[in-house]
Amino acid sequence: MSKRAVDMTFQAIYTLTDLRILLRETAPSHEFDANQKTQAQRLLENLERQVGSLKQEILK
Amino acid sequence: MRCGNGIEARQVDELFINIDPIQAGGRLTSDAMKAVIAYGDGYSVCDNCRKPNRLDYIAKPPIAEFHKDVAKWLNMDAVRTVPGARRGFQAVAHTYVKKGDPVLLTSLSHYTEFLAVEESGGVAREIPANEQKIITPDATAEKIETVKKEFGRAPVLAFIDHVDYQYGNMHDVVGIAKVAHQYDIPVLYNGAYTVGILPVDGKALGADFVVGSGHKSMAAPAPSGILAVTAEREKEVFRTTAIVGDVTKRQFGIKEPEMMGCTLMGVTLVGMMASFPHVKERTKHFDRELANHQIVMDALLSIEGTACLSEYPRKHTMTRINTIASFDKVAETHKKRGYYLQSALEEKGITGVIPGATKVWKFNTYGTTRKQAEHLARSFVEIARENGLAVKG
Repeated sequence: MSKRAVDMTFQAIYTLTDLRILLRETAPSHEFDANQKTQAQRLLENLERQVGSLKQEILK
Repeated sequence: MRCGNGIEARQVDELFINIDPIQAGGRLTSDAMKAVIAYGDGYSVCDNCRKPNRLDYIAKPPIAEFHKDVAKWLNMDAVRTVPGARRGFQAVAHTYVKKGDPVLLTSLSHYTEFLAVEESGGVAREIPANEQKIITPDATAEKIETVKKEFGRAPVLAFIDHVDYQYGNMHDVVGIAKVAHQYDIPVLYNGAYTVGILPVDGKALGADFVVGSGHKSMAAPAPSGILAVTAEREKEVFRTTAIVGDVTKRQFGIKEPEMMGCTLMGVTLVGMMASFPHVKERTKHFDRELANHQIVMDALLSIEGTACLSEYPRKHTMTRINTIASFDKVAETHKKRGYYLQSALEEKGITGVIPGATKVWKFNTYGTTRKQAEHLARSFVEIARENGLAVKG
Protein backbone atom coordinates (compact mmCIF):
# COMPACT_ATOMS: atom_id res chain seq x y z
CA MET A 1 0.00 0.00 0.00
CA SER A 2 1.22 3.51 -0.66
CA LYS A 3 0.61 7.17 -0.07
CA ARG A 4 -0.53 7.29 -3.68
CA ALA A 5 -3.28 4.75 -2.95
CA VAL A 6 -4.45 6.81 0.01
CA ASP A 7 -4.38 10.01 -2.08
CA MET A 8 -6.35 8.34 -4.88
CA THR A 9 -8.96 7.08 -2.40
CA PHE A 10 -9.53 10.62 -1.14
CA GLN A 11 -9.46 12.03 -4.69
CA ALA A 12 -12.14 9.59 -5.78
CA ILE A 13 -14.34 10.39 -2.78
CA TYR A 14 -13.90 14.11 -3.50
CA THR A 15 -14.83 13.63 -7.14
CA LEU A 16 -17.97 11.84 -6.03
CA THR A 17 -18.63 14.69 -3.60
CA ASP A 18 -18.55 17.16 -6.48
CA LEU A 19 -21.01 14.92 -8.32
CA ARG A 20 -23.21 14.89 -5.21
CA ILE A 21 -23.28 18.69 -5.25
CA LEU A 22 -24.32 18.60 -8.88
CA LEU A 23 -27.20 16.33 -7.93
CA ARG A 24 -28.23 18.77 -5.22
CA GLU A 25 -28.10 21.75 -7.56
CA THR A 26 -30.32 20.00 -10.07
CA ALA A 27 -32.80 18.35 -7.69
CA PRO A 28 -35.43 17.10 -8.08
CA SER A 29 -35.33 16.40 -11.85
CA HIS A 30 -31.55 16.06 -12.21
CA GLU A 31 -31.85 17.36 -15.74
CA PHE A 32 -28.42 18.75 -16.59
CA ASP A 33 -27.92 21.71 -18.88
CA ALA A 34 -25.00 21.71 -21.32
CA ASN A 35 -22.51 23.10 -18.76
CA GLN A 36 -23.58 20.63 -16.13
CA LYS A 37 -23.28 17.75 -18.59
CA THR A 38 -19.72 18.84 -19.43
CA GLN A 39 -18.93 19.12 -15.74
CA ALA A 40 -20.42 15.68 -15.00
CA GLN A 41 -18.50 14.13 -17.88
CA ARG A 42 -15.23 15.61 -16.63
CA LEU A 43 -15.91 14.37 -13.10
CA LEU A 44 -16.78 10.86 -14.27
CA GLU A 45 -13.63 10.70 -16.42
CA ASN A 46 -11.57 11.81 -13.43
CA LEU A 47 -13.26 9.19 -11.30
CA GLU A 48 -12.48 6.45 -13.82
CA ARG A 49 -8.86 7.56 -13.89
CA GLN A 50 -8.67 7.66 -10.11
CA VAL A 51 -10.25 4.22 -9.74
CA GLY A 52 -7.86 2.92 -12.41
CA SER A 53 -4.88 4.24 -10.46
CA LEU A 54 -6.27 2.72 -7.30
CA LYS A 55 -6.56 -0.68 -8.98
CA GLN A 56 -2.93 -0.41 -10.08
CA GLU A 57 -1.76 0.55 -6.59
CA ILE A 58 -3.84 -1.87 -4.58
CA LEU A 59 -3.96 -4.93 -6.78
CA LYS A 60 -0.38 -4.87 -8.08
CA MET B 1 -29.28 2.55 1.63
CA ARG B 2 -27.79 2.51 5.09
CA CYS B 3 -24.66 4.18 6.45
CA GLY B 4 -24.68 2.31 9.75
CA ASN B 5 -26.78 -0.05 11.78
CA GLY B 6 -30.30 1.28 11.44
CA ILE B 7 -29.09 4.62 10.06
CA GLU B 8 -30.56 5.41 6.70
CA ALA B 9 -28.31 7.42 4.40
CA ARG B 10 -29.84 10.90 4.29
CA GLN B 11 -30.50 11.98 0.70
CA VAL B 12 -33.02 14.73 1.33
CA ASP B 13 -31.13 17.47 -0.46
CA GLU B 14 -30.14 15.24 -3.38
CA LEU B 15 -33.70 14.08 -4.07
CA PHE B 16 -35.71 17.18 -3.15
CA ILE B 17 -35.65 20.94 -3.13
CA ASN B 18 -35.54 21.49 0.61
CA ILE B 19 -37.31 24.65 1.80
CA ASP B 20 -37.13 23.90 5.52
CA PRO B 21 -36.90 27.34 7.14
CA ILE B 22 -33.95 26.51 9.39
CA GLN B 23 -31.96 24.20 7.12
CA ALA B 24 -31.40 26.31 4.03
CA GLY B 25 -28.31 28.28 5.04
CA GLY B 26 -26.61 25.38 6.76
CA ARG B 27 -26.34 23.06 3.77
CA LEU B 28 -22.70 22.15 3.32
CA THR B 29 -20.57 23.33 0.45
CA SER B 30 -18.60 20.77 -1.51
CA ASP B 31 -15.43 21.80 0.34
CA ALA B 32 -17.11 21.36 3.70
CA MET B 33 -18.24 17.86 2.72
CA LYS B 34 -14.66 17.02 1.73
CA ALA B 35 -13.32 18.44 4.99
CA VAL B 36 -15.86 16.38 6.93
CA ILE B 37 -14.62 13.22 5.21
CA ALA B 38 -11.00 14.01 6.04
CA TYR B 39 -11.54 15.25 9.60
CA GLY B 40 -14.27 12.94 10.89
CA ASP B 41 -12.14 11.48 13.68
CA GLY B 42 -12.73 12.96 17.12
CA TYR B 43 -9.56 14.93 17.84
CA SER B 44 -8.60 15.35 14.20
CA VAL B 45 -7.81 19.06 14.40
CA CYS B 46 -5.55 18.53 17.39
CA ASP B 47 -2.67 16.73 15.61
CA ASN B 48 -0.61 19.91 15.64
CA CYS B 49 -1.82 21.49 18.85
CA ARG B 50 1.23 23.02 20.51
CA LYS B 51 1.74 25.30 23.49
CA PRO B 52 -0.19 27.32 24.62
CA ASN B 53 -2.59 24.46 23.81
CA ARG B 54 -5.70 26.23 22.84
CA LEU B 55 -7.87 25.61 19.81
CA ASP B 56 -7.72 29.14 18.45
CA TYR B 57 -3.90 29.01 18.41
CA ILE B 58 -3.61 25.95 16.16
CA ALA B 59 -1.81 26.85 12.92
CA LYS B 60 -2.29 23.58 11.03
CA PRO B 61 -5.04 23.31 9.88
CA PRO B 62 -5.17 27.14 9.87
CA ILE B 63 -7.58 27.58 12.79
CA ALA B 64 -5.79 30.61 14.22
CA GLU B 65 -5.93 32.34 10.84
CA PHE B 66 -9.62 31.46 10.50
CA HIS B 67 -10.41 33.16 13.82
CA LYS B 68 -8.64 36.33 12.67
CA ASP B 69 -10.35 36.23 9.27
CA VAL B 70 -13.82 35.86 10.77
CA ALA B 71 -13.21 38.79 13.15
CA LYS B 72 -12.05 40.96 10.26
CA TRP B 73 -14.96 39.87 8.07
CA LEU B 74 -17.49 40.84 10.76
CA ASN B 75 -15.55 44.02 11.63
CA MET B 76 -15.13 42.89 15.21
CA ASP B 77 -11.94 42.47 17.26
CA ALA B 78 -11.92 38.90 18.54
CA VAL B 79 -13.73 35.70 17.68
CA ARG B 80 -14.23 32.29 19.19
CA THR B 81 -16.03 29.38 17.64
CA VAL B 82 -18.86 27.95 19.74
CA PRO B 83 -21.09 24.86 19.57
CA GLY B 84 -24.07 26.75 18.17
CA ALA B 85 -25.31 30.33 18.56
CA ARG B 86 -26.95 29.39 21.86
CA ARG B 87 -23.53 28.76 23.43
CA GLY B 88 -22.57 32.27 22.36
CA PHE B 89 -25.66 33.67 24.10
CA GLN B 90 -24.81 31.60 27.14
CA ALA B 91 -21.21 32.85 27.36
CA VAL B 92 -22.25 36.50 27.14
CA ALA B 93 -25.19 36.14 29.54
CA HIS B 94 -23.04 34.28 32.05
CA THR B 95 -20.45 37.07 31.93
CA TYR B 96 -22.78 40.00 32.43
CA VAL B 97 -26.01 38.80 34.03
CA LYS B 98 -26.23 38.18 37.77
CA LYS B 99 -29.17 36.91 39.78
CA GLY B 100 -32.13 39.29 39.58
CA ASP B 101 -30.67 41.46 36.81
CA PRO B 102 -33.14 42.64 34.18
CA VAL B 103 -32.21 41.66 30.62
CA LEU B 104 -33.72 43.07 27.47
CA LEU B 105 -35.07 40.62 24.91
CA THR B 106 -37.82 41.08 22.36
CA SER B 107 -41.21 39.53 21.76
CA LEU B 108 -39.60 37.79 18.77
CA SER B 109 -36.48 36.52 20.54
CA HIS B 110 -35.43 32.89 20.15
CA TYR B 111 -36.06 30.66 23.17
CA THR B 112 -32.35 29.94 23.64
CA GLU B 113 -31.80 33.62 24.43
CA PHE B 114 -34.35 33.28 27.22
CA LEU B 115 -32.67 30.12 28.50
CA ALA B 116 -29.29 31.83 28.54
CA VAL B 117 -30.78 34.61 30.69
CA GLU B 118 -32.55 32.12 32.94
CA GLU B 119 -29.43 30.08 33.52
CA SER B 120 -27.65 33.20 34.77
CA GLY B 121 -30.53 34.10 37.08
CA GLY B 122 -31.60 37.10 35.02
CA VAL B 123 -35.12 38.40 34.55
CA ALA B 124 -36.44 38.59 30.98
CA ARG B 125 -38.10 41.77 29.84
CA GLU B 126 -39.34 41.87 26.26
CA ILE B 127 -39.51 44.80 23.88
CA PRO B 128 -42.89 44.34 22.20
CA ALA B 129 -43.08 44.14 18.42
CA ASN B 130 -45.42 46.58 16.68
CA GLU B 131 -48.40 45.51 14.53
CA GLN B 132 -46.06 44.89 11.60
CA LYS B 133 -44.05 42.53 13.84
CA ILE B 134 -41.11 44.88 13.90
CA ILE B 135 -39.01 45.85 16.93
CA THR B 136 -38.36 49.59 16.85
CA PRO B 137 -35.90 51.93 18.60
CA ASP B 138 -38.86 53.83 20.12
CA ALA B 139 -40.29 50.66 21.64
CA THR B 140 -36.81 49.88 22.96
CA ALA B 141 -36.51 53.25 24.69
CA GLU B 142 -39.99 52.86 26.15
CA LYS B 143 -39.21 49.39 27.49
CA ILE B 144 -35.93 50.49 29.04
CA GLU B 145 -37.73 53.28 30.87
CA THR B 146 -40.34 50.78 32.11
CA VAL B 147 -37.58 48.45 33.31
CA LYS B 148 -35.83 51.33 35.10
CA LYS B 149 -39.02 52.11 36.96
CA GLU B 150 -39.54 48.46 37.87
CA PHE B 151 -35.96 47.60 38.89
CA GLY B 152 -34.51 50.97 39.73
CA ARG B 153 -31.82 50.40 37.10
CA ALA B 154 -31.41 49.76 33.40
CA PRO B 155 -31.14 46.25 31.92
CA VAL B 156 -27.61 44.83 32.04
CA LEU B 157 -27.70 43.37 28.53
CA ALA B 158 -29.83 43.50 25.38
CA PHE B 159 -30.36 40.65 22.92
CA ILE B 160 -31.43 41.88 19.49
CA ASP B 161 -32.17 39.54 16.59
CA HIS B 162 -31.36 41.27 13.31
CA VAL B 163 -33.67 38.87 11.46
CA ASP B 164 -36.08 37.06 13.75
CA TYR B 165 -36.89 33.37 13.50
CA GLN B 166 -40.67 33.83 13.60
CA TYR B 167 -41.26 36.12 10.64
CA GLY B 168 -37.84 36.54 9.07
CA ASN B 169 -38.34 40.28 9.53
CA MET B 170 -35.40 42.65 9.60
CA HIS B 171 -35.16 44.94 12.60
CA ASP B 172 -33.40 48.29 12.96
CA VAL B 173 -30.40 47.07 14.94
CA VAL B 174 -28.49 50.31 14.41
CA GLY B 175 -31.32 52.38 15.90
CA ILE B 176 -31.99 49.93 18.71
CA ALA B 177 -28.29 49.66 19.64
CA LYS B 178 -28.02 53.44 19.69
CA VAL B 179 -30.85 53.65 22.20
CA ALA B 180 -29.41 50.81 24.33
CA HIS B 181 -25.98 52.44 24.41
CA GLN B 182 -27.50 55.69 25.66
CA TYR B 183 -28.30 53.69 28.80
CA ASP B 184 -24.89 51.92 28.76
CA ILE B 185 -26.52 48.60 27.91
CA PRO B 186 -24.23 46.29 25.92
CA VAL B 187 -25.88 44.85 22.81
CA LEU B 188 -25.72 41.26 21.65
CA TYR B 189 -26.49 41.05 17.96
CA ASN B 190 -28.13 37.72 17.15
CA GLY B 191 -27.08 37.00 13.59
CA ALA B 192 -28.32 33.41 13.42
CA TYR B 193 -30.16 34.26 10.20
CA THR B 194 -27.73 36.86 8.87
CA VAL B 195 -24.08 35.97 9.56
CA GLY B 196 -23.13 33.92 6.50
CA ILE B 197 -26.24 34.98 4.60
CA LEU B 198 -25.84 38.71 4.03
CA PRO B 199 -23.13 41.29 4.82
CA VAL B 200 -22.72 41.96 8.57
CA ASP B 201 -20.55 44.79 9.91
CA GLY B 202 -20.63 44.44 13.68
CA LYS B 203 -19.25 47.86 14.55
CA ALA B 204 -21.40 49.70 12.03
CA LEU B 205 -24.41 47.94 13.54
CA GLY B 206 -23.37 49.04 17.03
CA ALA B 207 -22.95 45.51 18.34
CA ASP B 208 -20.81 44.71 21.35
CA PHE B 209 -21.20 41.01 20.55
CA VAL B 210 -22.05 39.29 17.28
CA VAL B 211 -23.35 35.75 17.42
CA GLY B 212 -23.68 33.60 14.30
CA SER B 213 -24.86 30.07 13.69
CA GLY B 214 -22.65 27.77 11.65
CA HIS B 215 -25.27 25.12 11.03
CA LYS B 216 -28.04 27.61 10.35
CA SER B 217 -26.30 30.13 8.14
CA MET B 218 -22.63 29.35 7.53
CA ALA B 219 -22.84 26.08 5.59
CA ALA B 220 -21.31 24.19 8.50
CA PRO B 221 -22.04 20.96 10.38
CA ALA B 222 -23.96 21.15 13.67
CA PRO B 223 -23.47 22.26 16.32
CA SER B 224 -21.34 25.22 15.32
CA GLY B 225 -21.33 28.97 15.55
CA ILE B 226 -19.24 32.01 16.28
CA LEU B 227 -19.08 34.63 19.00
CA ALA B 228 -17.37 37.87 17.99
CA VAL B 229 -16.70 40.72 20.39
CA THR B 230 -15.26 44.24 20.45
CA ALA B 231 -11.85 44.85 22.00
CA GLU B 232 -13.59 46.49 24.95
CA ARG B 233 -15.47 43.27 25.74
CA GLU B 234 -12.77 40.77 24.81
CA LYS B 235 -11.08 40.63 28.22
CA GLU B 236 -14.45 40.20 29.92
CA VAL B 237 -16.09 37.41 27.89
CA PHE B 238 -12.84 35.72 26.93
CA ARG B 239 -11.16 36.12 30.31
CA THR B 240 -8.72 33.34 31.14
CA THR B 241 -8.92 30.89 34.01
CA ALA B 242 -7.62 31.81 37.45
CA ILE B 243 -8.54 28.65 39.34
CA VAL B 244 -5.91 26.70 41.29
CA GLY B 245 -6.23 23.16 42.64
CA ASP B 246 -5.57 23.07 46.39
CA VAL B 247 -3.80 19.67 46.37
CA THR B 248 -2.02 19.71 43.06
CA LYS B 249 -1.70 23.49 42.73
CA ARG B 250 -2.60 22.96 39.12
CA GLN B 251 -3.49 25.93 36.96
CA PHE B 252 -4.86 25.83 33.45
CA GLY B 253 -2.94 28.40 31.49
CA ILE B 254 -4.91 30.44 29.00
CA LYS B 255 -8.04 28.31 28.91
CA GLU B 256 -11.19 30.42 28.92
CA PRO B 257 -13.94 29.43 31.39
CA GLU B 258 -16.80 30.72 29.22
CA MET B 259 -15.53 28.55 26.37
CA MET B 260 -14.92 25.58 28.72
CA GLY B 261 -11.44 25.35 27.26
CA CYS B 262 -11.49 24.28 23.63
CA THR B 263 -14.80 24.58 21.81
CA LEU B 264 -15.29 23.13 18.35
CA MET B 265 -13.16 20.20 17.32
CA GLY B 266 -13.14 17.98 14.28
CA VAL B 267 -15.85 18.19 11.63
CA THR B 268 -17.78 21.15 13.03
CA LEU B 269 -14.84 23.50 12.96
CA VAL B 270 -13.15 22.25 9.81
CA GLY B 271 -16.49 22.16 7.99
CA MET B 272 -17.11 25.79 8.93
CA MET B 273 -13.57 26.72 7.88
CA ALA B 274 -13.83 24.94 4.54
CA SER B 275 -17.10 26.69 3.72
CA PHE B 276 -15.87 30.09 4.87
CA PRO B 277 -14.45 31.43 1.56
CA HIS B 278 -17.68 30.42 -0.20
CA VAL B 279 -19.79 31.88 2.58
CA LYS B 280 -17.91 35.19 2.43
CA GLU B 281 -18.51 35.31 -1.29
CA ARG B 282 -22.20 34.37 -1.15
CA THR B 283 -23.05 37.17 1.27
CA LYS B 284 -22.15 39.60 -1.53
CA HIS B 285 -24.89 38.15 -3.71
CA PHE B 286 -27.87 38.15 -1.38
CA ASP B 287 -29.79 40.13 -3.99
CA ARG B 288 -29.87 36.99 -6.17
CA GLU B 289 -31.34 35.03 -3.29
CA LEU B 290 -34.03 37.66 -2.78
CA ALA B 291 -34.81 37.63 -6.50
CA ASN B 292 -35.31 33.84 -6.39
CA HIS B 293 -37.42 34.19 -3.26
CA GLN B 294 -39.60 36.77 -4.99
CA ILE B 295 -40.35 34.30 -7.80
CA VAL B 296 -41.80 31.93 -5.21
CA MET B 297 -43.58 34.72 -3.32
CA ASP B 298 -45.22 35.97 -6.51
CA ALA B 299 -46.54 32.48 -7.17
CA LEU B 300 -47.82 31.95 -3.65
CA LEU B 301 -49.48 35.35 -3.51
CA SER B 302 -51.15 34.68 -6.85
CA ILE B 303 -53.15 31.93 -5.12
CA GLU B 304 -56.31 33.61 -3.87
CA GLY B 305 -56.59 33.69 -0.10
CA THR B 306 -52.85 33.42 0.53
CA ALA B 307 -51.24 36.19 2.57
CA CYS B 308 -47.69 37.01 3.58
CA LEU B 309 -47.41 37.42 7.36
CA SER B 310 -43.84 38.66 7.17
CA GLU B 311 -42.92 42.21 6.22
CA TYR B 312 -43.35 42.78 2.52
CA PRO B 313 -41.49 43.36 0.20
CA ARG B 314 -39.26 40.70 1.65
CA LYS B 315 -35.81 41.50 2.96
CA HIS B 316 -34.96 37.90 3.81
CA THR B 317 -35.55 34.52 2.19
CA MET B 318 -37.33 33.01 5.20
CA THR B 319 -41.01 33.89 5.15
CA ARG B 320 -44.10 33.16 7.22
CA ILE B 321 -47.14 32.60 5.08
CA ASN B 322 -50.85 32.35 5.86
CA THR B 323 -52.77 29.86 3.72
CA ILE B 324 -55.86 29.50 5.94
CA ALA B 325 -58.05 30.89 3.16
CA SER B 326 -56.36 28.84 0.42
CA PHE B 327 -54.54 25.53 1.02
CA ASP B 328 -56.28 25.00 4.37
CA LYS B 329 -59.70 25.24 2.70
CA VAL B 330 -58.74 22.22 0.61
CA ALA B 331 -57.63 20.32 3.73
CA GLU B 332 -61.16 20.54 5.15
CA THR B 333 -62.44 18.06 2.59
CA HIS B 334 -59.34 16.36 1.24
CA LYS B 335 -59.01 12.65 2.06
CA LYS B 336 -55.46 13.23 3.29
CA ARG B 337 -56.68 16.20 5.35
CA GLY B 338 -53.86 18.63 6.16
CA TYR B 339 -51.24 16.19 4.94
CA TYR B 340 -52.24 16.57 1.32
CA LEU B 341 -50.06 19.65 0.80
CA GLN B 342 -46.87 18.00 2.02
CA SER B 343 -47.75 14.91 0.01
CA ALA B 344 -48.40 16.92 -3.16
CA LEU B 345 -45.19 18.88 -2.69
CA GLU B 346 -43.18 15.70 -2.22
CA GLU B 347 -44.63 14.29 -5.44
CA LYS B 348 -43.15 17.35 -7.12
CA GLY B 349 -39.79 16.86 -5.43
CA ILE B 350 -40.20 19.48 -2.72
CA THR B 351 -39.72 18.99 1.01
CA GLY B 352 -39.29 21.04 4.17
CA VAL B 353 -42.84 22.19 4.88
CA ILE B 354 -44.02 20.83 8.25
CA PRO B 355 -46.19 17.75 7.64
CA GLY B 356 -49.85 18.63 8.12
CA ALA B 357 -49.29 22.39 8.00
CA THR B 358 -51.82 24.17 5.80
CA LYS B 359 -52.65 27.19 7.94
CA VAL B 360 -49.56 29.16 8.84
CA TRP B 361 -46.11 27.92 7.92
CA LYS B 362 -42.63 29.08 7.12
CA PHE B 363 -40.28 28.33 4.28
CA ASN B 364 -36.86 29.41 3.13
CA THR B 365 -35.60 29.46 -0.45
CA TYR B 366 -31.99 30.33 0.41
CA GLY B 367 -29.52 28.51 -1.82
CA THR B 368 -31.95 27.47 -4.52
CA THR B 369 -30.96 28.01 -8.12
CA ARG B 370 -33.16 30.11 -10.38
CA LYS B 371 -34.41 26.93 -12.03
CA GLN B 372 -35.30 25.45 -8.65
CA ALA B 373 -37.09 28.65 -7.61
CA GLU B 374 -39.14 28.48 -10.81
CA HIS B 375 -39.94 24.83 -10.10
CA LEU B 376 -41.13 25.79 -6.61
CA ALA B 377 -43.28 28.60 -7.97
CA ARG B 378 -44.80 26.40 -10.67
CA SER B 379 -45.45 23.59 -8.21
CA PHE B 380 -47.36 25.72 -5.69
CA VAL B 381 -49.57 27.11 -8.45
CA GLU B 382 -50.16 23.65 -9.95
CA ILE B 383 -51.13 22.19 -6.56
CA ALA B 384 -53.52 25.10 -6.02
CA ARG B 385 -55.14 24.61 -9.43
CA GLU B 386 -55.29 20.82 -9.07
CA ASN B 387 -57.25 21.34 -5.87
CA GLY B 388 -59.67 23.90 -7.27
CA LEU B 389 -58.16 27.05 -5.80
CA ALA B 390 -58.35 30.24 -7.84
CA VAL B 391 -55.06 31.61 -9.13
CA LYS B 392 -54.69 35.20 -10.29
CA GLY B 393 -53.10 35.91 -13.64
